[in-house]
Amino acid sequence: MSLRSERTVAAAAIVLAVVLLAAWGRQARQPAAKQIIPTLTNRPELCLTCHDGIEEISASHPVAAFGCTTCHGGDGLALDADLAHTGMYGGRNPADLAVADVACGGAKCHSGDPAAGRDHIQRVNTSIQATYAGAIAQVRHTFGAQPDLTARMGVHAVQSDRPPSAEAVASLAAFVAHPTDPPPLQQFAANCLTCHLAAQPIAAPYFYRATGCAACHVLYDTDGLYRGGDPSISRTEPGHASAHRLTTAIPYSQCDHCHNRGNYNLPRMAFIARTDLPAPADADAPARRLAEYYQPIGQFTRCEWELDCVDCHTAQEAMGDGHIYSNQADAQDTQCLTCHGTLSEPPKLATITDPNDIALRQAQVNGKYALQVGDQVVVTERGEKLGHVRWSGDHLALTMKATGQTYRVPLVQGTACEQKPDEQASRYCHACHDHELPAP
Amino acid sequence: MGKLDRQRVKESSLQAVKPAKASIPEYDSSERSAVMVHRRPNFFYHLHPPTLPARESRFGYTFGLGGISLLLFLALGVTGVLEMFIYLPTLADAAASVRQIAYLAPFGWLLRNMHYWAGQMMVGTVILHMARVVLSGGYKGRRSNWLIGMALLALTLLLDFTGYVLRWDQDTAWALVMGTNLVNAIPGIGPALYRLLIGGQTVGQATLLRFYAWHVLGLALVATVLIVWHSFRVRRDGGISHRKSAPGPAPRVGREQLVRTEAIAALLTLAALVGLSVLVNAPLGPAANLSVLMTAEPRAPWFFLWIQELLRSAPVFLAGVLAPLAVFTLLSVLPYALDRGPAGVGEWFNRPGRLAQGVFLALVLAVIALTARGLLR
Repeated sequence: MSLRSERTVAAAAIVLAVVLLAAWGRQARQPAAKQIIPTLTNRPELCLTCHDGIEEISASHPVAAFGCTTCHGGDGLALDADLAHTGMYGGRNPADLAVADVACGGAKCHSGDPAAGRDHIQRVNTSIQATYAGAIAQVRHTFGAQPDLTARMGVHAVQSDRPPSAEAVASLAAFVAHPTDPPPLQQFAANCLTCHLAAQPIAAPYFYRATGCAACHVLYDTDGLYRGGDPSISRTEPGHASAHRLTTAIPYSQCDHCHNRGNYNLPRMAFIARTDLPAPADADAPARRLAEYYQPIGQFTRCEWELDCVDCHTAQEAMGDGHIYSNQADAQDTQCLTCHGTLSEPPKLATITDPNDIALRQAQVNGKYALQVGDQVVVTERGEKLGHVRWSGDHLALTMKATGQTYRVPLVQGTACEQKPDEQASRYCHACHDHELPAP
Repeated sequence: MGKLDRQRVKESSLQAVKPAKASIPEYDSSERSAVMVHRRPNFFYHLHPPTLPARESRFGYTFGLGGISLLLFLALGVTGVLEMFIYLPTLADAAASVRQIAYLAPFGWLLRNMHYWAGQMMVGTVILHMARVVLSGGYKGRRSNWLIGMALLALTLLLDFTGYVLRWDQDTAWALVMGTNLVNAIPGIGPALYRLLIGGQTVGQATLLRFYAWHVLGLALVATVLIVWHSFRVRRDGGISHRKSAPGPAPRVGREQLVRTEAIAALLTLAALVGLSVLVNAPLGPAANLSVLMTAEPRAPWFFLWIQELLRSAPVFLAGVLAPLAVFTLLSVLPYALDRGPAGVGEWFNRPGRLAQGVFLALVLAVIALTARGLLR
């Protein structure tokens, strides 16, 4: 058969037909695009083609309004994974502090008016969890690099835009160890700057967490596995949030990803992870909580292991109030007396009068407790209203932010409590109210 | 006698050197008219001379490069027109409409990939076609068609570059900014020419629209006219350039055979084009944003990488304007300055054309070396 016969023409035509069939096959395998047009951007997005079934991040950020790219960046019109994910803010986590300004910020969003409490990002950057200023000041002071415990440096340089206050400093410089610093300080700089909001988590059970805002507001399970509905996220690869969800209903286990995870060996400047986890399988809830959260050295009273951390450590305390404090003690606003009062005084209450009160917004976002104008709530020394601790006619009631469970708050006034008026720190209360575990 | 047998007989008579006709001093025109009376040639046959020199119509002589280039140009036209139904040449929508073609429109990915790969392949086949013509002396005695070919080479590169820009992603937009800035370096008329080219003081909406208009109409129309002219010149000059040195009449074959060869080449080229398009997607990067600073050095499309390499070591006007013009001019004047005579036509590496071949190969090697350096960066 000649190479140039009509048969060869027919064979070439068959080759072309086969290739065309392959093209048809590829078209047939294309996933049907799932398009949304978010109302805030009015630009179509195809992300849900692959992320079909992902959880809505929160009721405050409905996907119908925000879509995906408003917060995540990336290329919402690309159906090729590499291109679609190019230019995402912070990779998987747009709430990392390096990108939060772009992803979460904006005048109408989370870098807005301080008076309305919408300057979350600026405040978080001044918070002790972000600056790590307390530990840095402590170690620098211990090894003679600074004369007192007043913070001078943080993991990043930061300035406060708040009016000066006696307990706060105006700014921090970025901490770097100098060659002339004592060796322990240099080791500290090399080994120990791992416990702040910008630090990458340790990739191990219990430690799995996100960075930035999501370190607290996106819940991780102990094993770091995803349990949501997005078919494109691995369910076997650890290091994922348990669901694509932002929350202010933060259980103690979330704080646990950083706090009370081990001890520090100061001579070696090393972190030694706990080995007494997990708690025994037969432990009941309070015992498990005690075992998992608290190390066996401290004294704790009942509300400290029945409530969640966020029930006392308020939003402004954890996320910062805009002031730069030298350490956690200075930042802390809530004391036992905030809710329990003293022998001579009941807890301070404030009435919600402004329909735009931040406390109302916090209650609505949290969803576990109800609050309305006219309600009387506990107010801290620095004036932060605790919407979940409400005067309920004849008693004070606390509703847990993570579970919605409600407790009647016992007041000191009128009891036989032996406290002294000027000894209100928790260690004085712990002297009598240690553990208070139910009898076995 | 079955159909296949008949065909075999017909083929053997066509393929052989036609001993019966070898004794005829001139091709017998009476036989030709007899054929035409019996069977009017169809459109595709009609585009070819009734008979062609047997030696030069073998695939191994031309490798079908001119025809394949023409086929790719047609494929580019068809896929390009279909893309025009979706593409929007505006800053706000260009990237989105490219994505609509690539991801949403049924078979849009195939259109885009075919358009891209046909464009890439055409640059290759056009340059190889030129190399074949130079090395086998095909330009001899057909100098005007050589010039048309040179114009088509330039048009092919400009069409590819304007198309590259229309993708409107970070890479191509910065390549556009960089490429058009070369014009600024021309003394005197540079700035005016630059404004004319990009439609204002800075690259923006007007630039995209202008490049779109050049791509889909301006350049494409001129290229179409020149391709028709180029092919017509080949047809008018008696088909493919062929050896004239052998004494006596050269053996000839009927055009049916050539048309069949062309059909096979066309079908296989299309199969390769579609196959490549199924397997490998045309590149697409993040949408262009000219309001942010360039973060990475933009890379010229591969066929201009050699100019980008020159720009690293020489002044802009010299490397970016004069050098490409010099290469182009030198190639254009090959048959006028370096090999004027008709001797050696149709002979690979013919002796009279050695100087022209040497200059051509030196230029090609230099461009390839610079391109390789650019690719390896």
